[in-house]
Amino acid sequence: MTYIYSLFQYIPFIAEGVLWTASLVLGGLGIGFIIGLPLAIAQSFGGKKLGKVLNAYVWFFRGTPLLVLLSLFYWAIFPSFGFKLDPLKTSILVLGMRSGAYQSQIFKDSIKSVDYGQILAAKAIGMTQRKLILYIVLPQALRISIPAWSNEYAVILKDSAICFALGVMEILTRVRYVSTATGLALIPYLFAGILFFVLTFSGTGIMDFIHKRTRIPGMVEGLR
Amino acid sequence: MIVLRAEDVWKRYDDTIVLRGVSLNLKKGETKVIMGPSGAGKTTFLKCLNLLVKPDKGRIWIDGEEITSPKADITRLRQKIGFVFQELNLFHHLTAIGNVMIGLTKVKGMSKSDALKKAKETLKRVHIEEELWRKYPAQLSGGQKQRVAIARALAMDPIVMLYDEPTSALDPGLSSEVLLVIKELSERGITSLIVTHELGFAYEVADEIVVMNRGRIIGGGSPEELRNAKNDEVRNLLNKWNGLKDGVLV
Ligand SMILES: Nc1ncnc2c1ncn2[C@@H]1O[C@H](COP(=O)(O)OP(=O)(O)OP(=O)(O)O)[C@@H](O)[C@H]1O
Ligand SMILES: [Mg+2]
Repeated sequence: MTYIYSLFQYIPFIAEGVLWTASLVLGGLGIGFIIGLPLAIAQSFGGKKLGKVLNAYVWFFRGTPLLVLLSLFYWAIFPSFGFKLDPLKTSILVLGMRSGAYQSQIFKDSIKSVDYGQILAAKAIGMTQRKLILYIVLPQALRISIPAWSNEYAVILKDSAICFALGVMEILTRVRYVSTATGLALIPYLFAGILFFVLTFSGTGIMDFIHKRTRIPGMVEGLR
Repeated sequence: MIVLRAEDVWKRYDDTIVLRGVSLNLKKGETKVIMGPSGAGKTTFLKCLNLLVKPDKGRIWIDGEEITSPKADITRLRQKIGFVFQELNLFHHLTAIGNVMIGLTKVKGMSKSDALKKAKETLKRVHIEEELWRKYPAQLSGGQKQRVAIARALAMDPIVMLYDEPTSALDPGLSSEVLLVIKELSERGITSLIVTHELGFAYEVADEIVVMNRGRIIGGGSPEELRNAKNDEVRNLLNKWNGLKDGVLV
């Protein structure tokens, strides 16, 4: 009984981890968007040489396990450039750079799915490349990206738990503390699972809502 | 006055030469039709005219300005050419009226209210009535889409309209509404260059018909002259077209 009581005491402590997890996820997604969208535009409309350089970035971040990236940037890369970043900031940046690589692929595919005829039509009425990207390609590509982007949210949410390795006070890190302190495992970890479940489904639910609201009338997706 | 002039235009893709020295003049107010079998290079030629395809050789003038010159302001000159494509390629994310307005606001820099007014007028000219203005492309029929595409080009006040087989992507039965609009515009003095496979329409609308085959212009003349053409190659093609149902060469 006292065990259970002390466990309840820890619930606010674990729940506070939601704020940390949310910072990781929203920060990572945001930085990923800021990196990923220009990257996709450059890969789609830039030259071959630029494409190769950018591909190297994408392959590095997609091909390296997150745990390795986190350690590499925390212990080696940031310090060697003279940055002393705390674990949270490091984690957000690493998640962001990595998500940028994944998001660039999402946006690249969506840009590719805007058919070339529309691009020709935009040129024919005198649009510059910048204008046709801004007014014709992106409004469609971003809409098409929403389901994949929603999936990226779910992925980064799960990945954020790996940041416990740097001691970031996110949900999982706190659960481990509680588990150690109380000697209990099932209930703390179950609670963590429920939190992640709720976060996943509320987030993707919001994205579904946005997707439905921005639907182009009459257009059947996937059949274009 | 010549508003569009192409001189000795050549284009090759890898090892196929698609255009072999095509020259053509278009006078203000004139309507010319280009006919020719599939693969003749008609689309490629039209796309060369506003540099959507870059010719390997040859020069092109629009309204007296050379678009093939290295110093040419291509995006500005393109605005002088209205282009209606073979494929139905309206902007999917914009309504009918949005499709017509976007060039006016984002390219010509018109205010929203001026663009709206102009878009409405232009849509009426192509017989797109008010109940369709707020529809998205996916909610329009092929013939309606193609008429909106004509309006999108026409609203930019081009000095010449180019139509690349504007009815070939349409279900049979929807062609006539589009052809009617093109004919009306041509009769009201819009300079037009039309690629079509519809022989009857060509005879009806053209001041001059140009016949293309294998990247060359092989003959041409007024509809009357063409009917009595001496050139064997031209005669053979025309006979082939005549023999086909509805005069449509597929
Ligand atoms: N981008 C391209 N790359 C390679 N070959 C091409 C390309 N575009 C056209 N061609 C080739 O050039 C030739 C002429 O094509 P074009 O589209 O100009 O013909 P067309 O007269 O418009 O025919 P259609 O009546 O079928 O539309 C064809 O043999 C075609 O395969
Ligand atoms: Mg063609």
